[in-house]
Amino acid sequence: MVDEGGGRFSAVLCFSTAVYSVEAVKRAAYRFTDRLSFDISLRDQEIRCSVTPLADMTKVDLASLTARVRNEVLDQDLRERIAAETAGVRNVVLAYAFSATGLQDS
Amino acid sequence: MSRFGALADYAPTLETRYQLLPFRFANLDDGRCVVTNMVGEYALLSRADLEDFVHHRLVPSSRAYDDLKAKHFLVDGDDSVAVDLLVLKARTKASRLAQFTGLHMFVTTLRCEHACPYCQVSRQSEDRAAFDMSEATADRGLELVFRSPSPTIKIEFQGGESALNFGLVRYIVERAEEINRTEGRDLAFVIATNLAIVTDEMLQYCREHNIFVSTSLDGPADLHNRNRPRAGRDSYERAVDGIRRARAIVGRDRVSALMTTTRDSLGRVEEIVDEYLRQGFGGIFLRPLSPYGFAVKTKSYAAYDADAWLDFYFRGLRYILDLNRRGYRFVEHYASLVLGKMLTPFDTGYVDLRSPAGIGIGALIYNYDGEVYASDESRMLAEMGDTSFRLGNVHRDTWEDIMTSEALLRPLEASYTGSAPMCSDCAFEPYCGADPVFHHATQGDAVGHKPTSAFCRRNMTIFKHLIGLLDEPETRRILLGWI
Repeated sequence: MVDEGGGRFSAVLCFSTAVYSVEAVKRAAYRFTDRLSFDISLRDQEIRCSVTPLADMTKVDLASLTARVRNEVLDQDLRERIAAETAGVRNVVLAYAFSATGLQDS
Repeated sequence: MSRFGALADYAPTLETRYQLLPFRFANLDDGRCVVTNMVGEYALLSRADLEDFVHHRLVPSSRAYDDLKAKHFLVDGDDSVAVDLLVLKARTKASRLAQFTGLHMFVTTLRCEHACPYCQVSRQSEDRAAFDMSEATADRGLELVFRSPSPTIKIEFQGGESALNFGLVRYIVERAEEINRTEGRDLAFVIATNLAIVTDEMLQYCREHNIFVSTSLDGPADLHNRNRPRAGRDSYERAVDGIRRARAIVGRDRVSALMTTTRDSLGRVEEIVDEYLRQGFGGIFLRPLSPYGFAVKTKSYAAYDADAWLDFYFRGLRYILDLNRRGYRFVEHYASLVLGKMLTPFDTGYVDLRSPAGIGIGALIYNYDGEVYASDESRMLAEMGDTSFRLGNVHRDTWEDIMTSEALLRPLEASYTGSAPMCSDCAFEPYCGADPVFHHATQGDAVGHKPTSAFCRRNMTIFKHLIGLLDEPETRRILLGWI
């Protein structure tokens, strides 16, 4: 947590690239863009996420919100795992669902 | 020597025990997650069960395993048809897309004798030439209607007050019936009218030609008349009298009403529901204001936010459920639409909750001046000077020009929730819609920024709430009766 002065705070979150993908961090961050702004960069084996509140926020509120961002990164990681395992079936289902509609001939 | 090997020899190994089928998840409340599959079936899991499930640690004898297997979230060794069933259900859900445009709205006139501050489009004018649709425009519109391959065609008359140009309503109905004698479509008509100037003769015509009547009823007399001012301040009295006459002449099941929520409505949802009960309706559609036309100009739309409307909605829903518990069968239609998406393999076709969006491929609107828009909301936006969703003109453009216009294809593709940011991994995506016109109107972008989208907030909150209600056995029984 960084004190920007005047009661304004920002935060830095770090995630290991050995554990998380940049995509997972970006997807998680996006969900909080109504309240936070993110600057995401890759440094060595670390995804570094600078977090700035869009409006005034107490240190406690910011800490609580960044904890939720961390949890959301975990969720996004889980979603990536599900997507990877199920991509084949998903494509088959979509292909059959949208195939041979008859619209092409009309 | 035993004829069979030991039982353990037949047990699947830990690693190959089951395979995940595509699904999404979201946190529902403390410790519970909702998982949904591609066709909208859902299950509630503890966080621990979710983690175990994804990491292939879920025990086959557990209740969660059985639930997930029955709802096609996993496939295991003794269940080879799960994928086939999932495909069949997905195809059933998507089947409406192949039918293409079924709803065709004709704005017979923009004139109206009401002056509702929330109205999106109407004009108080006597100038028939300026604001009425001509027969030539209607003819070209009808040619386009029957270019749609849809086996079901619904023609809806919109306004202004559509009945102020009832001669054109008659013309369109009879021309459409004539064309349909060779087309053989399942043809239906709806007239949207405030009923204030509708005569018994008009209603008799509606009866003879199977025209359904859709009217407006905002609540008790004082609220309705404040929301819907007209000369004589008798909008409510005329609407109620019109509903009575329409039921007597056209048929009870052919008359429906819609309400609009204004700031004055917010504290009065119980009275509004009571009014619908008093008028003998079997349900109500609790609707928020749309961000278009005069609703924006007169600041009606900005008068309350999504949270205030949600509070109104949930109070209304609670009141309606209490009515049902006391023995009155009364439906909240928005909940009914969403429940249909959650609990059946069928798509309801409700335009706002479709993805790909319902614009153009679900509904088209032929404006009084011949312009063709992608939806009713699109023409309302055009009345504000924004013609982003104008697809063409009945006199200048062909069906192919209109249906392949960039004004339609670009927002359809961009807003598809299967790939839109935040929507693509949202557990509620199977229940939700794209609504590019709403997002364009409120955020200047057809895709929309979902973390700040009122549409997203409103619908996500309702989906979660309904899933919570379905977990209460007595409430679930009532809600199942609404589908």
